[in-house]
Amino acid sequence: MAGEAGFEHRWRHVRLLFLAFLGLWLLFTLFPLYFMAITALKTTAETNLTVPTFWPEVFAFGNFAAVFAEATNFDALVDSFVIASLNTVLSLVLGTLAGYAFARFPRQAGGENLAFWILSNRMFPPVAILVPMFFLFDSTPWGTDSIWSLVILYLVFNLPLATWLMMVFFRDAPPELEEAAYLDGWTPFRAFFRITLPLVLPGMISVAMLCWIFAWNEYLFANLFVGTDVRTYTIVIPTFTHGSQTLWNLQMAFSLIAMIPPVTLFILLRRYMVRGLSLGVVKG
Amino acid sequence: MARLVVEGLCKGWDFPVIDDLSITVEEGEFLVIVGPSGIGKTTLLRLVAGLESPDRGRILVGDRDVTRVPPYRRNVAMTFESYALYPHLTVARNIASPLQARGLPAAEIRRRVEEVARLLRIDTLLERKPGEISGGQKQRTALGRTLVADPQVFLLDEPISHLDARIRHELRSQFHTLEDLRRVATVYVTHDYAEALSLGDRIAVMGNGGRLAQIGSARELFEQPATLFVAEHLGQPTINALEAELVDVDGRLEAHVGSLRLPVASSRRDALARVGERRATRRVTIGLRPQHLRPADELPQGATLEGRVDIFEALGSTGVMIVDVGGVALTALTRPERTFDPGEMVTLAWDPAALHFFDPSDGRNLLL
Repeated sequence: MAGEAGFEHRWRHVRLLFLAFLGLWLLFTLFPLYFMAITALKTTAETNLTVPTFWPEVFAFGNFAAVFAEATNFDALVDSFVIASLNTVLSLVLGTLAGYAFARFPRQAGGENLAFWILSNRMFPPVAILVPMFFLFDSTPWGTDSIWSLVILYLVFNLPLATWLMMVFFRDAPPELEEAAYLDGWTPFRAFFRITLPLVLPGMISVAMLCWIFAWNEYLFANLFVGTDVRTYTIVIPTFTHGSQTLWNLQMAFSLIAMIPPVTLFILLRRYMVRGLSLGVVKG
Repeated sequence: MARLVVEGLCKGWDFPVIDDLSITVEEGEFLVIVGPSGIGKTTLLRLVAGLESPDRGRILVGDRDVTRVPPYRRNVAMTFESYALYPHLTVARNIASPLQARGLPAAEIRRRVEEVARLLRIDTLLERKPGEISGGQKQRTALGRTLVADPQVFLLDEPISHLDARIRHELRSQFHTLEDLRRVATVYVTHDYAEALSLGDRIAVMGNGGRLAQIGSARELFEQPATLFVAEHLGQPTINALEAELVDVDGRLEAHVGSLRLPVASSRRDALARVGERRATRRVTIGLRPQHLRPADELPQGATLEGRVDIFEALGSTGVMIVDVGGVALTALTRPERTFDPGEMVTLAWDPAALHFFDPSDGRNLLL
C-alpha cells in the first residue's frame, strides 16, 4: 500500500506541473486578448502613456460608437462577411468534389502526385505571388477592386486545404458503404448524398470554419487589391488614426467587434469539430 | 424469380483472379462457394453484383444479360463481409434503405421492415444505431437489408465467419430455415468447409488461378474429389496424401510408399490399369481420409498397418492421432472414449476401397 501511495504521490506532482504549464499557456494566449479589450475601453490619452495601465482609469464606452461614426466602416464588416462566406461555399463545394475524386478514383484524378502538388500550393510564402496576382486580376473583367476578386483569389489558399482535408475524410469513409447503397438500388449520386456525405459532415464543417476564418482575417492581399469600392474590415483597422497619432483604442474596439462573428461561429459549431468519424462502421 | 448464369467469366489479365469461370445457380438453389482466403471468391461475388466489371464473359439473371448493367439496376442483393451497415442510420432505416430507394410509401416500408425484423428477431433493436448492437445483431441487420429487397439473386460474402461459435451455429440454422433465401438463387461464399457442407445444395470449390476445381453435392465432393486440392480442402482432419509407386506383385497391385506396401482394391485395379496405359510413369499420389484409417478393433475388415503413436488429441466427438508407420506420418481417427499415449504401439486398419489416386503432376483424380 505504501508503494501505491508513493506512486500516486508522484503522479500528483506531474499533474501539478501540467496544470502550471496550462496556466502559463493560458496567460500567454489570453493576455493579448485582455490587453486588447482594456485598450478598447481607454481614452486616447490613456493609450499614449509611457507606462501602460492594466486597468482603464476611465471606461470610454463611446469608442465602440466612434468606430461606426463613419458608416462605411460597418459596410467593411459586411464586405468581409460576404467575401469570406462566398469563398467558403466555393471552397467547400469544389474541395469536396475534388477530394472525393482523389479519395475514390486516385488514378483517374491524377494520382497522389497531383494531390500533393495541390497541397504544396499552400507551402510558398503568399507574398511571393502578391504582385503577379495583382496584375493578373487587374487584367480580368471584374478587376481588383471587387468582391469577386478576393472571393476567387482566396481560393488559391483555401481550395488546396479543403481538397486535401476532404480527401482524407473521404478515405476514412469506407467505400463498401457506398457499394452497399448501390446494391440497395441507390444511384451513385444519391448514395453519395445519403450515405457518404453525412459521414464526412463533421469534417466538412471543420473545413468550412478554417476557410471562413482565413478569408475573414486576410489582410495582405486585401490591402493591395481592394480599398475604394470594396473594403474589408482588415484594411479599415489601420485607418483609425488622427494625424500622425495611432488611435489604438478605436483600432482595438473595431478588432473586438470583428472577433464576434468567428467566435460565435466557433461556439455554434464546436461540437461538430471535435466529433470523430468512428461511428461503429466496422464489424465487432 | 430467376436463375443466375455465369458464362466464361474472366477478371484480370496478367494475374487472373477469375479465369474462364462458368456456373449456373438454379432458382431456389443454395450454392456455396468454398476455397482458401484470397482465391477470388469475393471478386466473383462483386462481379455478379456489378461492383466490378469482368474483362470477358457474361452474367445473366433469368433471361436478362446484366453484364454491363450497373449494380443499382440489377436487383441483386449482397451482404458484405464487414456488414457495411450505415453507421449514421438506425437499424430500421438501414433495413428500409432498399425500399426507400424504390420510393415505396412510408407505411408499406414500415410494415415490411417490421416483418423482416421479426423474422430475424431484431425487432426490439429497430431504433438503435449499428454502433450499439452486437456482431450477431449487425449480421442479422445486414441480412435483413438484403431480405427486404426481395431480389432475384442473393449474394452472401462470409456472412458468419467473424462471429463466435454459438451465434454462428444459430445463424447457420437460420440460413436453413429462411424461406426467402430458399426461394431464389443464392450464392454463399465461405472459407469454412464445415459451413459449406452444412448449407450448400451444391458446393463449388474454387482453386488456384481463379478456376473452379469442382462443383457438386457435399457427398460427391467428399467421396469423389476431382483433384487433390479439393480432397485436401474438404474434410477434417486433412486427408493423408502420400507419394507412391504402383507395383505389380504376384498379379496383385500394390502402392509402395517408402517401405510401406499398401494393397490396392481389386475394384480399382482395372480402372488404374486403363489409366496406366496412357501414362508413362507409375508414380501416383494416394489419398486416404483419416475417417477410413482407424485402430484395428474399430474396423475389423480392413487391411492392417503397424505404427507408433506420435500425437493423440481427444476432441470430444472423436479422437485424432498421428501415427508413425514405417517412417510415414499418418493421421487416423478413433472413437471418442478411447485414449492413446505417445510412443504406444498400435495396429491400424484401413479400407482399401476408400483409397484415392491422384496424378502427382497436376493433382487430377486418376479414376474420374
